[in-house]
Formats: sequence, C-alpha cells, structure tokens
Amino acid sequence: MNVWELIIQQPLINVLIVIASFFGGNFGLAIITLTIFINLCMLPMTLSQIRSSKKMQDLQPKLAELQKKFAKDKQKLAQEQMKLYKESGIKPAGCLLTMIVQLPVWIALYQSIMLTMAIAPEGLLNLSRYLYPWGGVFAALPLSRGFLGLDLAEPNIILAVIVGVSQWVQQKMSQTPSADPKQSQQNQMMLWMFPMIFTLISLSFPAGLPLYWVSNSMVRIVLQYRLSGWGGLSRKPSEGNGKDKKYVDLIAAGERKSTDDVGADIVMPDSQQQPSKNRYLPGKDRQRHPRKK
Amino acid sequence: MKIRDKQTRYADRILILVALLIIIAMVGSSCIQGLRTVGWSGGGVSGDTLYVGSEEGRLVSVNMTDDSRRWSETLQGPATSGGLFGCSSLTGGCGTGGTNVAIYGTPVIDGELVYIAGYNGKVYAYTKDGLGIRWIYPRDGYLFPIVGGVIVAEDEVFVGDSEGIIYALDAETGDFIWAFATEIEESDRDKIWSIPAVSNGTLYIGSFNKKIYAVNTDDGTKKWEYLTEGSVIAQPLIVNGTIYVGSLDRNFYALDAESGNLKWQFAGDNWFWGKAVILDGKIYAGNLDGKVYVLDPANGNLIGEYDLEGPLAASPVIHEEKIIFATSEGSIYSIDTVSGEKRLLATLEEIKINGPLAINDGIIYAHTTDVDLRRINADTGAILPPISLKSGA
Repeated sequence: MNVWELIIQQPLINVLIVIASFFGGNFGLAIITLTIFINLCMLPMTLSQIRSSKKMQDLQPKLAELQKKFAKDKQKLAQEQMKLYKESGIKPAGCLLTMIVQLPVWIALYQSIMLTMAIAPEGLLNLSRYLYPWGGVFAALPLSRGFLGLDLAEPNIILAVIVGVSQWVQQKMSQTPSADPKQSQQNQMMLWMFPMIFTLISLSFPAGLPLYWVSNSMVRIVLQYRLSGWGGLSRKPSEGNGKDKKYVDLIAAGERKSTDDVGADIVMPDSQQQPSKNRYLPGKDRQRHPRKK
Repeated sequence: MKIRDKQTRYADRILILVALLIIIAMVGSSCIQGLRTVGWSGGGVSGDTLYVGSEEGRLVSVNMTDDSRRWSETLQGPATSGGLFGCSSLTGGCGTGGTNVAIYGTPVIDGELVYIAGYNGKVYAYTKDGLGIRWIYPRDGYLFPIVGGVIVAEDEVFVGDSEGIIYALDAETGDFIWAFATEIEESDRDKIWSIPAVSNGTLYIGSFNKKIYAVNTDDGTKKWEYLTEGSVIAQPLIVNGTIYVGSLDRNFYALDAESGNLKWQFAGDNWFWGKAVILDGKIYAGNLDGKVYVLDPANGNLIGEYDLEGPLAASPVIHEEKIIFATSEGSIYSIDTVSGEKRLLATLEEIKINGPLAINDGIIYAHTTDVDLRRINADTGAILPPISLKSGA
C-alpha cells in the first residue's frame, strides 16, 4: 500500500463504511454525511476562497474604472490592478491554491466511493486490503445500493441533470464579473463547460458518484449564500459583463472629448439613439413630400 | 508588463487545461484502482486438454501434451454499453463497453460439452472438440452478470446471476427448466457470485444478501436458508452431510446439509473468499488475511495455521498429499498435509492470481493477470514457459 492509500484513501473508505453501518447500511446517506463532514473539515479554506471571490466581486467597479482609465497603457493597468489587489488584501493566486490543496481530498473521496460500491468483482476483492479490523466493517460490505429509489451502482439520468444544474448554480453564484470582454467570455465558457462535462460523466458513472457531486455542490451553494448571498445569480445582466459595454462606453464618451483618446467605439444605448435627420420617416416624410399624382 | 498580461491569459488557459486533466485523471484512476472487469477464469481439465476463459472474452483450449493452443472461440454477445465510460455494475466498472466479455467462471466439462458463463449474463455450451457452439442461454437478451460460473449435475446446468436468481437448464439443449428467486421481493434480493455445489438432489449456494440457500434440484423449491453476518462468495464444500463455507463476515461456517442448522463457526481475520479443501480429515481454508486455517471438521477447532503472506483469493488444488495455494501477489506455496511443512514453490513477479488453480500430471496451471497461463512444476517448483492466451500470439 502506498502513502496515498495509507494516509488518505484507507481512512476515508473505513469511515464511509462505518457511517453507512450507522445508517443501517444506507450508502446514499453515508455519501451525503461524509461529503458534509469533509466540507466542514475544510471550512476555513473554503470560507477563505469564498471571501476572496466576494472581495473580487466588490472590486469590480474599481477594476472597471481602472480598465477604462488605462485602456491603452496595459503596463500601468496591470500595476494599478496589482496595487488594488494588494490594498484589498486579495491574492489572485490564493483561490487557485485553495482549490489545489482541496483536490487530493476530493479525488480520494471519489475513489473511496467507487471502491466501496464494489462495481466490479476485482474492485470488491481489492477493497479487502483497505479494511481496518474494526467490528462491523467487514460484515457491512458490500453496502446497500438503493437510495431514494435510485440504484447507486447504475447511472441515473435525473441525477446527472441535477449535477449539471447544481454545478451551474454554484459557479454562477461564485463567478466574478469582469469588465474585460475576453475574460467575461472565458467566464461564460467555464460556466457552461464544467457542468456539461460533469453531466456527461454522470451519465456513465454509478449514481453514487453524482450523488457525491450534488451533495458537494449543495454544501458549497449554502456556504456561498450564507457569506455573499446569491452573488452572480442575483446580479442584473447589465452589471459587469459584456452587456454593460454600452453603459460603460457611454460614460466614457461623456468624460472624454474624443474617441481617439481610447481608440474605442462609442456604443449608444437603444433608448438614447436619436433619429437621424437624413433618415426616411414614412409618416412625416410622406406629409412633407406628398406623392405626385 | 505586456508579457505579464499575456502570462495571465496563458495562466487562465492552463487552469482550464489542468481542470480537464484532473477530470480525466479521476476517470482514469478509477479504472486503475480495480474498477474494471477483467475476469479470473480458472482452468478446467479433461483428458489432455485444458479449457480456460481468457481476458479477451474467449474460451481457449490448450493441448497439455505439447502446451500449444488447440482452439479458441470468442463468447458471442458483447456486454451492454455503459455509455461514455461504461461504468456500471451491469457493464462492470469502467471501460468495458467494448466487445470483450469478462469471464470469471471456470469452464466445466461434462460429456462432450464444455460449459462456460460470461459476465454479459449468458451461458454457453461448446463441443469439446473444435469448440463449436451447441447452445446459448438465453438465446435472446441477457441474464444479469454471472461471476460464479456454472456447475453441471444430474444432466442439468445450474448457475446464479447478479440479480439473485438461480437457473436450472437442460445440459444437452440449454432449455430452461426452472428458476429460483432467492427472495420474493426484488429489493431483498442481491447478487450471487458464488459457484453452486450440488449433492444428493440439493443445490447449495451463497448470496450477497448474507444467506446460504439449499434448493431442491428437481423443482427449484427452497429447502432451507441460513443467515450469516456477511455476503457469501465462496463455493460451499460438502463432505459427509455437512456444508463448509466461508463468509465476508470473517467467519467460516459448518452447517448441517439436511436442516441448515449451524454446527460450528470459526472466526478468521479477513474475508473467506475461495473454496476450502479437505484432506486427511482436516479442512484447509484460505483467507484474505494471508493465512491458511487448518480446522477440525467435527468441531471447528483450530488445528494449525500457515501464514502465506498474501491474500488467498484463488481456490487451492490438491496434489498427492500436498495442498497448493496461490497468493494474489503471485507466490505459490505447497502445504504437506503429512509432515505439516510449508514450502514456497515459486514466485511470479508483478502479476496477480485471483482465479482458481488447476493441476494436471504434476503441473500447476495459474491464470494470471498478464493474460498468460503460467505453469509450475508442483514437485520442484520450477517455473515452466507460460502459454499465452492472447489471440494471434
């Protein structure tokens, strides 16, 4: 047994089995309970990650202002952005670091769930070497596959859809709006890509795994809501993404004398567009220039 | 700083790439960690021919006089696809949505036919010579995955599937005779991975629902059932009106074959996975804790134990006064029942042995995870050249 199995995987497997035994062999409840427990253990890191995201969201107006101000001078823009991050106590790489630290635990939990379900005969045989000599652990296996009418050892389309929806909601809540159209586009791509990938995977994996993903997303959604509300879900479409281009640029146009200063187009909002004098207006023009009979 | 801006964008892309790689790694690791069905069919011997199921889903016959492959036939009817990664209990773990049928049961030879069952839920009968297909059950569709394999007795083929149903088929034609559902309610049934044992008109089989069943072979009615504390995967051993079988609750049980009453039970340190053997009035039961427990069949008293330092999943074979065991890690031991001496015969590096051993003319045949049929001299421990089960090799 290697270090990974000894320190992370083996304890997780045994805890999962003990929890399932506590719930009368209900594997579904064991997955949910363990997911909540692991999330609680990692709460400080998760909270730090959510708070960082929240701060990033709060900084967006200032960042947009900086982008507007230093649109031509990328060097200055980067300097000012870093300065702003520093002043606000945000480490842009911090979120990534938190995710990386959490990943091994998620992977181990995922592997434990897959092994404990004993999908293949080889898996069950392999599982025996991970078991602690605790009373009840050996007898508890294999665990019951039924949960709320689902067979946790078989793929389930409904659960796969719930995985996609819950991940989309979670990502949408935590997404930081960006004034940079490219960044915004990338965010949009991430928002859809990951839920879709996980939905596809869920369609092919035993439902126990999607159940873990759903539980995990739900916990994250609750935490996110408690700390920063609905976040990106409640934000109006005109706030901080590509659609506010008209709004931002209109203000920018008001502040500057010439569009040449920034080299950007002025985009007028629909409500403020004035009819051109040269434009053909059917009713009025017909009155001005009646048809000759 | 322009470079820095570019770096930031590259960092974003790298982040996406890393996330994708992690997903792929998660999927990949599941396949490595023993979640893929491969099969561990043992060898069935008839005359100078050995029949074995290969990892490629083929029934292979080996001429033991010159160690050449005689015939090989692919089991028809691939496993049902499990979608993108093919991971489910029906398809058997990850990546088995292909055409290969995993074979766990050892081929059984009776008369002119060879019987074999696949993880795809089909039972096959082939002619011994030439491996021509005689019949397939069911002709259309599939049963649930079959792990334990078949047994032939009283001109009938008996097999249990992963739905918890035992089937009796006509050995000659493959016609359905009866089916016995281990429990009436579907939710109470569980997988059967145990090979049945038949004696005096009664079939004995273990189930994942922790029960051992005794069923009349005439009509498929239940005689009795006995509830253990864990799933029963091992094939029962029947001797002098007593059934000896181990369970995943770490206990080894002796039950009265007629009534199902418990005679005694013995506690080991891990699961009893393989079949026990009896020789010279002693029971030898291998355990996944790496020990062979020597028990008194009359009262279950521990006479002795041998530590073979590796999980014992493969059912052992008897050679003269010796019992040959193989650990999952590839070590092959012989235990001399007369002198009580334990001897390491051979160590096969970097392979696993989970399927039952076979023996013929002093040569041990072990089907290993490297798709070979390994041969070891049972007396000297000399490792003989392996026979590849790969098609085209």
